[in-house]
Amino acid sequence: MISAAVLHRLAVGLVVAVALAAVAAAVAAEGRLYPSGPPNGVAYLRFVNLASQEATIVSPAAKIAIPVDDAHRIREFDPVPPNSKLTGTVQLGSASTTIDLTLKPNEFVTVAVSSGTDGLTLTVFREVPSDFNALKSSLGLFNLDRNCADAELVAGDSHQAVVTGVAPGAIGRRMVNPVKVELAAACGDPTKAVPAKLGALVAGDRYSIFVLASATGRQVVAQRDEQAPLRP
Amino acid sequence: MNALLAGLAVLIIGDSHMVTRDYLITTLHDDLVAQGANVDSYGMCGANAGDWVYPTTVSCGRAERHAKAGPVIDRKAGAPTYTIDALIAKHHPNLVVIEMGDTMAGYGQRDFPRAWIYQQVHALTGRIAAQNIPCAWVGPPWGNEGSSYHKTFARVKEMSEFLASAVAPCSFIDSTEFAKQGEWPTIDGQHLTSAGYRAWGKDIAVSLDKLASQLPRRQ
Repeated sequence: MISAAVLHRLAVGLVVAVALAAVAAAVAAEGRLYPSGPPNGVAYLRFVNLASQEATIVSPAAKIAIPVDDAHRIREFDPVPPNSKLTGTVQLGSASTTIDLTLKPNEFVTVAVSSGTDGLTLTVFREVPSDFNALKSSLGLFNLDRNCADAELVAGDSHQAVVTGVAPGAIGRRMVNPVKVELAAACGDPTKAVPAKLGALVAGDRYSIFVLASATGRQVVAQRDEQAPLRP
Repeated sequence: MNALLAGLAVLIIGDSHMVTRDYLITTLHDDLVAQGANVDSYGMCGANAGDWVYPTTVSCGRAERHAKAGPVIDRKAGAPTYTIDALIAKHHPNLVVIEMGDTMAGYGQRDFPRAWIYQQVHALTGRIAAQNIPCAWVGPPWGNEGSSYHKTFARVKEMSEFLASAVAPCSFIDSTEFAKQGEWPTIDGQHLTSAGYRAWGKDIAVSLDKLASQLPRRQ
């Protein structure tokens, strides 16, 4: 029996339905009395809309719209079955492109939708993080600015380097002590860093900072990561 | 024992190790009651940490026990889960003890599901921390290898080491330090014999007694 809460998530999640079906089938097939974690492992997928207009993600199971306001443009990580092909499309205005992803167990994949002179662009960030620690905060710097060859995350008035050397399309990550600190993303000149407004960091939480180019200059979008629960 | 647990309201939650009469719902519960604590225990067979946060149904039974009364065990699958928020609101504990690990360690899986475990643990500890209640997390015992549960000493060690870094602000009680590998016999690779549960319950109670001196006392 799938709960009402799960049904609700089915309505809004892109591939959660696929994940739930796979997990449920695996549980039924094994008939194990004491399940020990997701039977076939788990991976996490999220979509981020860094374009200037609403993006629509369509999968075989659902269709969601991601607005452009900072509070909603970064979706939560949805648990999905690893080693399974995940397909769909992304629509941005009249432009459209396909999704064709297969995630590894424990992999976190972020699909960032952005617009530019070349229209709709999808950037896929992949990582298998191991830095889960309830006493620390984890900061991830995602570089979507192709004109920024060497993005960095700096802290405080002295622009102390926290994460450095992040190439376009790549992620840099570091665990830090959970403190209240002014963070900013820079490219080359730290004095021109753009603030990443995260507030006080919380122990055990993970954060994403996206650097992107826009018509008005370099832009930073930052948010604490959220994960949707797996509900077998 | 320092009798520091006397008068404390202790809420214990756990997995299948808490859902049979001779298991921790008897041994640990009795040990804490003997020290003067007001104890309420709950177990959900097969439950992950997230099952105490997001309401669902139990897969293979649940049990509860209050103070000096006997355990009430419901073996039926499909009963609603207990939720940590409701239990805290009902019992107003000074200390929450979480016994969990075996259901989340991915026994039999090649890849240790680190991210998923962290999410589960963080969801549960976050609810307890939000209410400023001290908590202690009891990790899994060694068990035995070669059973249908696919439990291995290597994975238990990996799980225990990971929980040690993942359960803050709860304190971590490492059950693998209580006995040598295979020292506590099991009935099925995972669940201990009655003697094992007596030993495990006693060792947890001693650890909690030491921890109690560091707990803030509610006025």
